[in-house]
Amino acid sequence: MTKQDFRIVGKSVKRDDVIEKVTGEGKYTGDYHMPGMLFGKIKRSEIAHAKIKSIDVSKALAYPGVKAVLTHHDVPRVLHYGSPHPRSASCTKDQYILDDRVRFWGEGVAAVAATSEEIADEALDLIEVEYEPLPGVYDIDTAQLPDAPLIHDVGPGGNLVIPPVHVERGDVDKGFAEADLILEGEFAGGRPTPTYMEPNVCVADWDGSNKLTFWTSTQTSFMVRGALAEVLGLPLNKVRVLVDHMGGGFGAKQDLFQHEFLCALLAKKCRRPVKMEFTRRETFVAGRSRHPFKLWLKQGFRKDGTLVAREMKVVFESGAYGSHSPGVTNVGTASATSLYRCDNVRLNGRAVYTNTPIAGAYRGYGVVQTYYALDIQMDEAAEKLGIDPAEMRLRNAVREGDIAPSGHPIIGHGLESCISHGVEAFNWAAKKGAPDRLVAGRPSARKGYGIGCEMHGSSAYPGIKEQGNATVKMNEDGSITLLTGAAGLGTGAHTALAQIVAEELGVTFSSVSVVHGDTDVVPWDIGAFASHTTYMVGTAAKMAAAELRARVLVRAAEKLQEKAENLEMVDGIITVTGKPGTSLTILEAMGPSRGIPAEHLIATGSYMPTKSYSFGAHFVEVEVDTETGIIECKKVMPVHDVGKIIHPIAAQGQVEGGVQQGIGHTLTENYVIDTSNGRSLNAGLVDYKMPLSMDMPDIETVLLEAAPDPGGPWGAKGIGEDPIIAIGPAIANAVYDAIGVRFHHYPITPEDVLNGLRAKQKDGANAGL
Amino acid sequence: MRRFEYHAPNSLEEVSGLLTSLGDGAFILAGGTDLLVEIRERLRTVKHLVDIKKVPGLSGITCSAAQGLRFGAMTTAGELAAHPGLAQLYPNLYDALCALASIQVRNRATVIGNICRASPSADTIPPLVADGASIETWHPDGARIIPLAEFFTGPGRSVLRAGEIATAITVPPPQPGSYRAYIKHGRRKAMELATVGVAVSLDTKDGICTAARIALGAVGPVVLRAPQAEALLVGTRLDPKTVTSAAQQAMLECTPISNVRSSADYRREMVGVLTRRAVQQVLEVAA
Repeated sequence: MTKQDFRIVGKSVKRDDVIEKVTGEGKYTGDYHMPGMLFGKIKRSEIAHAKIKSIDVSKALAYPGVKAVLTHHDVPRVLHYGSPHPRSASCTKDQYILDDRVRFWGEGVAAVAATSEEIADEALDLIEVEYEPLPGVYDIDTAQLPDAPLIHDVGPGGNLVIPPVHVERGDVDKGFAEADLILEGEFAGGRPTPTYMEPNVCVADWDGSNKLTFWTSTQTSFMVRGALAEVLGLPLNKVRVLVDHMGGGFGAKQDLFQHEFLCALLAKKCRRPVKMEFTRRETFVAGRSRHPFKLWLKQGFRKDGTLVAREMKVVFESGAYGSHSPGVTNVGTASATSLYRCDNVRLNGRAVYTNTPIAGAYRGYGVVQTYYALDIQMDEAAEKLGIDPAEMRLRNAVREGDIAPSGHPIIGHGLESCISHGVEAFNWAAKKGAPDRLVAGRPSARKGYGIGCEMHGSSAYPGIKEQGNATVKMNEDGSITLLTGAAGLGTGAHTALAQIVAEELGVTFSSVSVVHGDTDVVPWDIGAFASHTTYMVGTAAKMAAAELRARVLVRAAEKLQEKAENLEMVDGIITVTGKPGTSLTILEAMGPSRGIPAEHLIATGSYMPTKSYSFGAHFVEVEVDTETGIIECKKVMPVHDVGKIIHPIAAQGQVEGGVQQGIGHTLTENYVIDTSNGRSLNAGLVDYKMPLSMDMPDIETVLLEAAPDPGGPWGAKGIGEDPIIAIGPAIANAVYDAIGVRFHHYPITPEDVLNGLRAKQKDGANAGL
Repeated sequence: MRRFEYHAPNSLEEVSGLLTSLGDGAFILAGGTDLLVEIRERLRTVKHLVDIKKVPGLSGITCSAAQGLRFGAMTTAGELAAHPGLAQLYPNLYDALCALASIQVRNRATVIGNICRASPSADTIPPLVADGASIETWHPDGARIIPLAEFFTGPGRSVLRAGEIATAITVPPPQPGSYRAYIKHGRRKAMELATVGVAVSLDTKDGICTAARIALGAVGPVVLRAPQAEALLVGTRLDPKTVTSAAQQAMLECTPISNVRSSADYRREMVGVLTRRAVQQVLEVAA
């Protein structure tokens, strides 16, 4: 952390995978083809909740080109987790590979392997399934009714996925008694899905020794290995999971999916490689969305804006299976202890099953939902108390020493720095103070300004005790190979790790190459999620590089007949402090000579982090058309504290992508399920509306190194999830600033805006009477 | 994607013969930007694709103030939008073309494909209907020229008979004192299906509206005209009050549905807003 002079870290070096990506040579799972490979497809249920009375595959099996069909009669019946995190706090085992019951519309009931994708697809129509319909539950409220149909016979009872999460600090009743202002509100959010560019895909191949090689687009290759081995009854060294490039995951590709088991089993049955690739439609029905939610929030404030009490109840909709609901409920609920400091909090979080597609992990992991409510109510309080919204946040911002959601003290003043910096750079006071909200040339439009804040942890501690590992090898020519189990979702994580190794070791960036994504080769890794790769694996890589460097300097010291502590290594050149002119190249120090092999140099770093928190404040300008109800996000200034910036362009890319997804959540994206029968109404990109390049606002990202965390390399903290959190409430608050209508839900549709304006007008008219 | 047979005939006779003999499962392939997606997503069962790219005489654009506009079945949206004079003479059609999908799709999608798909939300239909366009068809029993306003019979349906092929679109030349506009309403700025689309074409003389044609997209089973709203405009100086009442009248003349894209009420309300805005846009150009 004390290092001042960086040669590689902090610079936007060229990513090592740029050329192969732009030329199309980068290999994604879908690019793998093998001789004799078959294609798998899944027959999906057309009813949301039912028992399977019978399933007849005889016609499908007889169809030319079909090699195998699997139903619940043919696969191991092992109850397993959807989310395969080992020993995760509270996972519920609630899934079979195939069951004699379906719990959501689109759940797989059978799988086909055939000689072409087309034949496999056509054979699906020949499978005859007879269902005995069961009463379904399609929304949060119905799921919680005492007489609601039950979706699972495991779990704590009712349709609860886990026992309710309860967090209490201080004395909430006393807090409310001391409050000058108490606000209470209900909030809700839709069902955005991550819509990664690369649909889920895997290829399974068994060899003669009964070993499974499995290529799959996953963020958590070791978790996939573990769950496959457990369910298929294999030792870990008989399952090899491979992933090279990935077209995004955003959290959702942390689950072990039904198709992954089925692909492996089809390949085993046919003794041939099998590929399974989702259609875009399947990424909706069989993918993982964010949890829809309902939330009640009550907070008490003093006249000066100080928060004195907070009470929150949140219910997350898990869909048909538990997946990440335990984690999301714990993290989302606990997150409301913080952001805005409050000594007295009482929080209750639940997750409920419904007969809808599965909600899983998605960037922002429960925090998107709870902070949407916290930050909108903070705006309401500011208005009621006559305090500027930014000033109100500054007064309440979490700071050094406050107890974080994870239970340990916050380090530094990151959030305050983000707010203060943004207030200046965005010219907040002048904009908010403008006499009107008119837009030149658009008589029906109004502009508005809003702020939203966030904090998010790097690593899933304390829910999961994580571990990051790295192995750094020096080859006999002095080049360096980093072996890491961290997946590359497309974020540039491997580039950042190589930068960290090069910086710590004292070699050039180009001399470091990265090997990843092969569970038989690279060190174990928990997976790429929880904004922890740079923070946790980066530290492990730095530890390994430091050890290697020490060994190089010892060897060089012998050759130079100097003390190792007097040596410096920069760009692979070793020099002696105070003795200009004396130097060795790394190759001279370490390389083979006169028939003597080079020293075998390999070092490993293993790091079990606690948690750091990154902070952000988003400043937003919107324009609202009061006749069409369309909200346009015109300008965003995201200000983020990341402790130490490793690669500025990659960090900025994370921020811009998060802003884009956050705008989508707040304004246009919602995967809609018909609440009368559980069917999907927009499972495709025609009617699921992600914002595209032309919809994007002007984004001016500001990255701060305000509160470095000693747990990360040179103080670096995560940036992956943070940018999606604050943008939502910032937009909602800006809409209020523009038209005076408060929204407590997302997405805020044009129709909502018009209805809101009408309601406001009516209220105004009534008040006038 | 499901399997289908691919045919590439060389003449209209062959195309027609194939469509007739292959029956319901046969579809014409021109740009394919909609059809292939529908096949892939299993929205349409296709047994045969009859590719018309090898058929001569289906391309070419003529566009002039004297003769009006004529383009063939293979004309892409991108090609037509870029054609000299089109943006000046038919700014409504130009705006509709530029609002269609994305640049990449427009370089492949044919305008007549967009029309023959007969979606009520198709961007190019409202301006062409408002401008009195006709569609030319070929059939062994004889060619026809059908006013576009009479071409559609429902979502995805038209008056085309089995074996009949749309070959060209013609649009009358713009009259002096005539003005036109198209406004598309959607949640996104590109790659969007219209929630509502409104085209207004007005003829004026000495500041008086002599004829008005309002075409409403995505608010009925086919693109609708709003004759009573049009009648309110004719004979007036298009003062704000008249325009507002015509817009309100147009709201009454549409028959929208509710679906995942929008509610019927919202669509109806947007017909009012967009009709007024389209007339205003016309007046701004006229001024």
